[in-house]
Amino acid sequence: MMVDGMTVEDKNQLKLERLQTTLNRAFKNVPFHRNRFLERNILPEHITSLEDLAKLPMMNRTHLGTHYPYGLFAVPLRDIVRIHTAPGTTASPSISGYTKTDLILWKNLVNRSLVAAGVTDLDIIQIHLPPGLANWGRDYKDGGETLGSSVIPNSPLSLAKTLMVLKDYKTTTLITTPAFAEQLVDHMFDRGNNPNELTLKRIILVGEPIDEANISDLEQSLHVDAWNHYGLSEIPGPAIAFGCKTLGGLHINDDHILPEIIDPETEKPVPMGERGELVLTTLSARAFPLIRFRTGDTARFLTHACGCRSPLMGIQWFKERTDNMIIISGIKVSLDQVKKYLQKALGMENPGCTIDRLRKDGTETLVICLTMDDALFSDEIKELEKLIIETGTALAEQAGVPVKIRLVQ
Amino acid sequence: MLRIKNLKCSYGSIVAVHGVSLSVKKGELISIIGANGAGKSSLLLAVCGLLKTWEGEIIFQDKTIRGMSPPAIVRAGMGMVPEGRQIFSPLSVMDNLKMGAYTRYHRGDNHGIQKDLEMVMEMFPILKDRSKQLAGTLSGGEQQMLAIGRALMARPKLLVLDEPSMGLAPKIVSMIFKVIVDLRAQGVTILLVEQNARAALKIADRGYVLETGKMVLQGSAEELLVDDDVKRAYLGQDYGDFYDGREG
Repeated sequence: MMVDGMTVEDKNQLKLERLQTTLNRAFKNVPFHRNRFLERNILPEHITSLEDLAKLPMMNRTHLGTHYPYGLFAVPLRDIVRIHTAPGTTASPSISGYTKTDLILWKNLVNRSLVAAGVTDLDIIQIHLPPGLANWGRDYKDGGETLGSSVIPNSPLSLAKTLMVLKDYKTTTLITTPAFAEQLVDHMFDRGNNPNELTLKRIILVGEPIDEANISDLEQSLHVDAWNHYGLSEIPGPAIAFGCKTLGGLHINDDHILPEIIDPETEKPVPMGERGELVLTTLSARAFPLIRFRTGDTARFLTHACGCRSPLMGIQWFKERTDNMIIISGIKVSLDQVKKYLQKALGMENPGCTIDRLRKDGTETLVICLTMDDALFSDEIKELEKLIIETGTALAEQAGVPVKIRLVQ
Repeated sequence: MLRIKNLKCSYGSIVAVHGVSLSVKKGELISIIGANGAGKSSLLLAVCGLLKTWEGEIIFQDKTIRGMSPPAIVRAGMGMVPEGRQIFSPLSVMDNLKMGAYTRYHRGDNHGIQKDLEMVMEMFPILKDRSKQLAGTLSGGEQQMLAIGRALMARPKLLVLDEPSMGLAPKIVSMIFKVIVDLRAQGVTILLVEQNARAALKIADRGYVLETGKMVLQGSAEELLVDDDVKRAYLGQDYGDFYDGREG
């Protein structure tokens, strides 16, 4: 891990060493990466500085789907001790693997992010994440246990029972999505619950960005500190960047994951401090190295020095995306994939629809308002209803989020 | 203390080290491990100025030392214990130790040299007993102690050891590793190249794994000890069986 108080030179040296070892392993062990190097007449030894990384091509989620399931692993399967899978944004689930060393690293990174939020071994951590973020639930459990905190792992409880556990188990730290946190507040106030009945000290929000105003609202409503964490299921891990009150943004673990911010159109770096698409390169991952992975997330580098004296870089994470995706309870759903699926399932050439999310009772749902047309119209209403229900169920299974299809004129 | 970036060196047309970067901080014990022929010794020879480099940076104590002569590098504070000991066999043990202080004589540091001689003798009492004996008549373990003692006579800020366990009986190897741990405890910064990966990592703070002249792994010794790649690097095995036939 990186030691606080490192000089800039020390930190850059460490990052260069990690980058070069990652590129050497990826080149040697992953044909996909090797071919992409060779297509550009580049060898890993030609990358002699962090800036040289720009010579390499970008990766995106399509590449993950093309090489599904093990094509991007950089170690033999016998070295893999854990395989994470999530619904993914393409037709195939997303996959990532961990070696023993990777697990140690991720526990330490989660641990680091929890410590930054003030979590200690005296805290009781309750994890409440939707099924699509179950892997992160495991990572937070591992990180919390490494810290010595008491961890209540993710379990499928209703909103009311989650609140009961929060109160009765004297939870001090809740890890959940912004959507659930907001639902929790609504639920409590609807029922006249007083936040002072809880022993909650902090809430860690994962899966999607949340702006300062909403964070402030949550803090005031629940009488807690709220922290936003940034993660990606592909990288793989939940605590790539973590909120810092002094910074006014998130510190990214750039000693293990190298960030770049690019113009999504030109793929060139944007000027320092300007908004663009976040691109990540893993520096320490053994099993599943990603080189210049386009996240689709929008961010900007924070250029001011942080009062917390962390040597980690600062970023600001925005709600807007550069790809055609929608986030439902922290899970990314590709709108193109949804339309493609509807096209196939309903036999419509160009389905007219609007796609949005609906938040109700602690759950977010992907709502598709489908315009009726001749191709879809049927005299048998029951048949049509059945088709719509079946399509919704199948789509929910594929996307990993609840789906509701509504027919509109 | 030592910062190497993108170092390349070769023997004629055969490239031994392909753009390697590594760093050693003050007080650290760093191990470089890898199979035979991985480029470990070449890297150390290049750092000590004994093998010509044609690209890269070597910064020692904030000064560029790439291209400097070996004596100048020793004067800058780097001491080397070479592979195979390389002691002066026809000279006595005492003369070998004094040769280690060669770069200090012109500074008139006779008092300091005498003090360090006593320190080395205290560290390795067997060398005191055999101070007049010809170095070539010592056993392998004793010669290794002499080589370490000779390097310490230059009063190095960074001690570079190349395969100190090579050709020694297991009992002697344990003793030599204990000496390395003791030296580190006394504040000597150490860069160790070793084929005995497990032993080297057990005493190290951090480690690097070299494979065919390229750095393929780096991390804390604790991380590397549980890494399956380390075993393979040490044993010189490859992933060929697994990766053959996989499409790009």
